[in-house]
Amino acid sequence: MPIAFEKVSYEYSVGTPFAHGALNEVDLAIEMGKVTAIIGSTGSGKTTLVQHLNALLLPTSGTVLVLDRTITSKNKPKSLKSLRKNVGLVFQFPEYQLFEETIIKDVMFGPLNFGCTQEEAYTKSCNALKVCGIDESLFEKSPLDLSGGQKRRVAIAGILAIDPQVLVLDEPTAGLDPQGSKQMMQLFMQLNRQYDKTVLIVTHDMEHVLNYCDNVVVMNEGKVLTHQRVSDFFNELTLLQNMNINPPHVLYLREELKKCGFHLGDGLHDLASLAKAIAAEVNSHE
Amino acid sequence: MNNIALGRYIPMNSVIHKLDPRYKIIAMFILLVAVFLPTGFQGYGILAVFVLGTLLLAKLKLNFIIKAMKPMMFMLVFLLVINILVLRTGYVLFSYGGFTIYSDAIFQTLYITVRLALMIMITTVLTATTKPLDLTLGIEDLLSPFKRFHVPAHEIAMMISIALRFIPTLIEETDRIMKAQASRGVDLKEGKFKEKIMAILSLIVPLFVSSFQRAEDLADAMEARGYVPSQSRTRYKQLKRTWKDTVMILITLSVLGLMFFLAFR
Repeated sequence: MPIAFEKVSYEYSVGTPFAHGALNEVDLAIEMGKVTAIIGSTGSGKTTLVQHLNALLLPTSGTVLVLDRTITSKNKPKSLKSLRKNVGLVFQFPEYQLFEETIIKDVMFGPLNFGCTQEEAYTKSCNALKVCGIDESLFEKSPLDLSGGQKRRVAIAGILAIDPQVLVLDEPTAGLDPQGSKQMMQLFMQLNRQYDKTVLIVTHDMEHVLNYCDNVVVMNEGKVLTHQRVSDFFNELTLLQNMNINPPHVLYLREELKKCGFHLGDGLHDLASLAKAIAAEVNSHE
Repeated sequence: MNNIALGRYIPMNSVIHKLDPRYKIIAMFILLVAVFLPTGFQGYGILAVFVLGTLLLAKLKLNFIIKAMKPMMFMLVFLLVINILVLRTGYVLFSYGGFTIYSDAIFQTLYITVRLALMIMITTVLTATTKPLDLTLGIEDLLSPFKRFHVPAHEIAMMISIALRFIPTLIEETDRIMKAQASRGVDLKEGKFKEKIMAILSLIVPLFVSSFQRAEDLADAMEARGYVPSQSRTRYKQLKRTWKDTVMILITLSVLGLMFFLAFR
């Protein structure tokens, strides 16, 4: 298993009066080539967890295995650059990391840092920007002149241009309009299907989890509560309700119908199959 | 990035924490004056004992103070070098070839070191035991007599409290941007000079952009709630003087008196 957490704990501000634990002996294995969602309430350790993947944080104890690397508390930052090339991490509100004069330069910043030549970086950046839906006419503009959604795309392109094998996104759709966030999620799907990238998404949006992800990891108070296939996860909604998370609308409808006496089977996760099941149920009574 | 000790409030339950911020500020100034009196090492010894006692009373760890003093180490080394090169008084301590070190160079540096250390300790006791908001309330109250000379006491206090309020936010932001750029291959410690400049730029530009954005947002939010600086307003928190404050002021004044005696006897 190329990405695995073994008894990983992390504590912030160790040795000061402000010390507090964020991860508590996390054991977790992420499937390669899949899209995994990480959900959980605020402060449950999601962001801390993903920052371990490219060694921005080193575990206080335990080991993280990423690709062929082992990360422990003793790793030197020096040896981590090659890891960061292979694990791209997009932060929450990544638009705040733009700084160059032009969009293309900003996107080229990453590849150049990882040792690409100017030409290589340029082609990679053009491709990444196009994949993210930024028109070529904007390439020479200042990134600060763009709209919020466009900035987000440019920032994500900045990571894609590095061409990482594993793509980690921390709430990539927060603050985007529904249309924009749908396009964003479809982009990640495409990266997963076409280029076989392993994608990890931290999200609060259950609709996205249901519609786009293969696996789901639920975090709670620094621990992994459960790690399941999405198709299994949404068969039972009690866990979600216990955590005060609203289930996707389709599933909410399904559960309410069940409560009203409809006999609907498991595995109904989309509108079409739910409609079919309702129709079958109605027909059987007529 | 989260380990900055200088000027940080440490929540504890001690006598010093409960004192009135206004009188704590006054006491700090009295002690700072005492530090600047030329009392020689004898006086500084007494002051150091006094300040360490206060630290103990405030339940602060010496470790924390030492951490707060770390940033000045570089300055002191620099000062020592300059003093050694420039000062040519006192007796010769060390001589090699044409290069001599005079005693005054060492003593001067030691003097300044002790003074700086004492100053940092005194101010740290104030900032570590007083919530930033209480501190600004104290400053506002202490400045209010100067209102008749058109000193904008309230505005100054508001500016200070906003600045203090945003220090942790900015630290967090810096940390976040540093990590984000590290994900893009930035390495602040390694690389050629040009790469380092780029690395610093990649940190500073976003920090500036978001700071200005934040400032604008804050101004809008304040205006939206009808903030007018010159308006008189009541306060939720009323500062009250107790006998403990009086005792503290009396003690610090007697320390100052002692220092005067030692300096000018």
